[in-house]
Amino acid sequence: MADAATQIPETPLFDRARSIQGYKLNKMAMDLGKPENREAFKTDEDAYLARYSLTDEEVAAVKARDWHEMVRLGGNLFFILKISAIDPTPMTRIGAAQAGMEHDDFLRQRLGKAV
Amino acid sequence: MAKIIGGIGTSHVPSIGVALDKGLSETPDWKPFFDGYVAGKKWMAEAKPDIAVVIFNDHGNTFFLDRVPTFAVGVAENYNPVDEGWGARAIPSFEGAAGLSWHFVDKLVEKHFDPLVCREIEVDHGLQVPMELFFGRPEKWPVKIVPIWVNTIQYPIPTPQRCWEMGKVLREAIESFPGDERVVIMGTGGLSHQLQGSRAGFINREADQAWLDGIANDYERYRQMSREDYVEQFGSEGAELIMWLVMRAAMDSRVELKHKHYHAPASLTGAGMVVLENAA
Ligand SMILES: [Fe+2]
Repeated sequence: MADAATQIPETPLFDRARSIQGYKLNKMAMDLGKPENREAFKTDEDAYLARYSLTDEEVAAVKARDWHEMVRLGGNLFFILKISAIDPTPMTRIGAAQAGMEHDDFLRQRLGKAV
Repeated sequence: MAKIIGGIGTSHVPSIGVALDKGLSETPDWKPFFDGYVAGKKWMAEAKPDIAVVIFNDHGNTFFLDRVPTFAVGVAENYNPVDEGWGARAIPSFEGAAGLSWHFVDKLVEKHFDPLVCREIEVDHGLQVPMELFFGRPEKWPVKIVPIWVNTIQYPIPTPQRCWEMGKVLREAIESFPGDERVVIMGTGGLSHQLQGSRAGFINREADQAWLDGIANDYERYRQMSREDYVEQFGSEGAELIMWLVMRAAMDSRVELKHKHYHAPASLTGAGMVVLENAA
């Protein structure tokens, strides 16, 4: 199961490697569950992110709200979703970004919605 | 002794809670979903349980990756809704059935399970949403709860077979618990969905429908499936369905399927429920 990520196409499981890789990024996001941290993030995002000794790549991905990249770097959606509470982004947009699709195409083709 | 009066399988999609908070349940997007729960809610009102055992997973709200219990059981007197990033939701806190919880923990360890035992802990949408779907928005919940957390986030997650075995112990615990409480068991999560990777937005309506039909009396194949099979058929987050097996294993081998509902998509998820009763 440790390398299950490689077994199912297009499906990154949150396994040992990802959990280790994404730990700091996810911790930063997890802490946004506390109002004082959300306030700090809103007030000065750079200073807030600096608390977590993230890599430059991680900081750039968060600042760009690049959901696909955050997951590539070991971010788990359940944690990084808390960023979307501060900077509102609908779940379907995050999904579309994961799939690398236009939002309307994603709604139509993946979710079967008439748009 | 306490008595199992029914088993529920249900989705716990967070956007259901958001829809309720924003009063969207009558909108075209949500009405068909909520309409399908009316019968389940009515069943619950008539069944009058005293305790709800709720099997669910935390979604990075209560547990961080610093400690990840494969199984955890709450033994608290009270559980507050957790702040998931938007502020804690304005719903009543949940009173714990601490006596049954401790008894269940005793039985689990006796049967060689090793749960994390939680005395002070908050609950996320995984528990909140099923409660709202079946009990509405009362000022005070009409039941006490026994929360059971299953890790479905960080691999290794438990096997479907282990979830099944836990359900057997749950039944034994309830049926050996002194008292006359009426207990409903709610297995939650799913149905098919995937939030991460380029297969995000994956919904498998056929597999979902087959699950809702089969979980009552044609469940053997779901017991045999591997974790990979679950992910493949139901999506990476759809693998939450293994938690329904805890509920199903606690019921008789033959059950009556009282109610069933399916709607897709709710947000990015195939969503629905079943209500099961032991055949008299
Ligand atoms: Fe879930």
